[in-house]
Amino acid sequence: MFLVGSFFLFAAFLITTCIFVIFSKNPVNSVLFLVLAFLNSTFLFILIGAEFVGIILAIVYIGAVAILFLFVVMMLDIQITTLMFNIKRYIPLALLFAGIILAEIIYLTVFKTSKNNLDTFIRSKNNTEQIGDVLYTEYFIDFQLSGIVLLLAMIGAIVLTHVYRPTIKRQNIESQNSTTAEDRVKLVKIKSGEGIKDD
Amino acid sequence: MTSLSFELTIGILKIFSFVVPVLVSVALLVYLERKVLGAVQLRKGPNVVGPFGILQSFADVLKLLTKENLLPSSSNKFLFIFAPMLTLILSLIAWAVIPISSTYVIANINIGILYLFAVSSFGVYGVIIAGWASNSKYPFLGALRSAAQMISYEVSIGFVIITVLICVGSLNLIDIVESQKNMWFAIPLLPMFVIFIISALAETNRLPFDLPEDEATLVAGFFTEYSSISFGLFFLAEYANMILMSSLTVILFLGGWYPPIDIFPLNAIPGIFWFVIKVFLILFVFLWVRATFPRYRYDQLMRLGWKIFLPFTLIWVVITSAFLFYFGLLPN
Repeated sequence: MFLVGSFFLFAAFLITTCIFVIFSKNPVNSVLFLVLAFLNSTFLFILIGAEFVGIILAIVYIGAVAILFLFVVMMLDIQITTLMFNIKRYIPLALLFAGIILAEIIYLTVFKTSKNNLDTFIRSKNNTEQIGDVLYTEYFIDFQLSGIVLLLAMIGAIVLTHVYRPTIKRQNIESQNSTTAEDRVKLVKIKSGEGIKDD
Repeated sequence: MTSLSFELTIGILKIFSFVVPVLVSVALLVYLERKVLGAVQLRKGPNVVGPFGILQSFADVLKLLTKENLLPSSSNKFLFIFAPMLTLILSLIAWAVIPISSTYVIANINIGILYLFAVSSFGVYGVIIAGWASNSKYPFLGALRSAAQMISYEVSIGFVIITVLICVGSLNLIDIVESQKNMWFAIPLLPMFVIFIISALAETNRLPFDLPEDEATLVAGFFTEYSSISFGLFFLAEYANMILMSSLTVILFLGGWYPPIDIFPLNAIPGIFWFVIKVFLILFVFLWVRATFPRYRYDQLMRLGWKIFLPFTLIWVVITSAFLFYFGLLPN
């Protein structure tokens, strides 16, 4: 009873926050609602006993990805009216993605009936150890492939954005660290009444 | 129904038994910081309010409470008020999984260390929301600095935690402490211990890495616009986070509640005493560092995080796992 009640609470909250992500006028508010949506999906994962997946979702998506979103969105100077005007352009693409995800959900829940297996797999004692058992053995290739995809994305982003500007003055840390006190200051004894002689 | 309400009462009492000592020790930590800084700089420090000035922090809290809470007219009101609350809440809910002895903990969960890591990485939201909601230049710059800094140092903290986890074979905090019964991890993993303390300084925005609140360039950083109790909440959260990171250091590297040597007069003393002593020592290191080192420049901070700590910790993870694997010392 408690589990079912909290499932519906978190699920309803998740859908509400997702709707707010789309319809918030301010993009910063959208990202903050996205964080709430991630948090609620974490709670849902923990409710079905998959605490490792849930907390990793929180660490990766809330702790890193959403912060970078927020970082970018905060620095954009967006005219809110034009943003709302352009939103209709994305509806066909959004419908396409929604259709794909719906088809995946229907496939996984209706046609692929390994649901009972999965359930016992998740509920048995420590799912962190179980993921560790299969991740580098059974799913080794998949795991490495997804790692390579992420690496490619990272290198691509760096190549696209990194422009070397020779006009920028850069800090040379090595020369700064190898400086000694003698290079910068010297002690001069001044006789009274004579002042400093320039040498 | 009676058993449920009984458990609820016990739970709430347990929560208070953590939160109240943490908040009191925040007040004492502020006093200690001012005394240590005073001693290092050959001054007296606070010495007027109460015996040896020990009530100074409580007087400061009372002063903050009676001040007017200003809301900048161009700020985002809800987020402006929400940010300090979020920061303090996040620094307090992390205590739910900290074990101060082998039996005394609010929630002994399987993935305690990941929970702590997640909560400490959420901490940046309070700062970044505060900076944005203030709608002012200096808080915004402070928030950006803080976000970049905390994300950078979380990476090396993550690798340090992974090294410890490889040696333990469990994500449970009590297991982590109990596997250090014979030898604290600070001895075999000394470089990681040092890197963890330095990263903890950066993660809690303490000197020499307190660039988000660099008063020479950013007035007061992300809380420039805050006054009264909303400033007080940020202040409380910063010191509560310091105590939290010190406790995490003690749990990961200094053997938690175990005495230094397992012989009679030492192991007769209750574990909580050792825990508090070790936390106090790490906190003293925090204050000592503050009194000793000048502030880093921002590019130096980023260089240290990405070009030195990240490769070093990554290589050390590989070395540790290879060592444990070839000598058959891997847990389980």
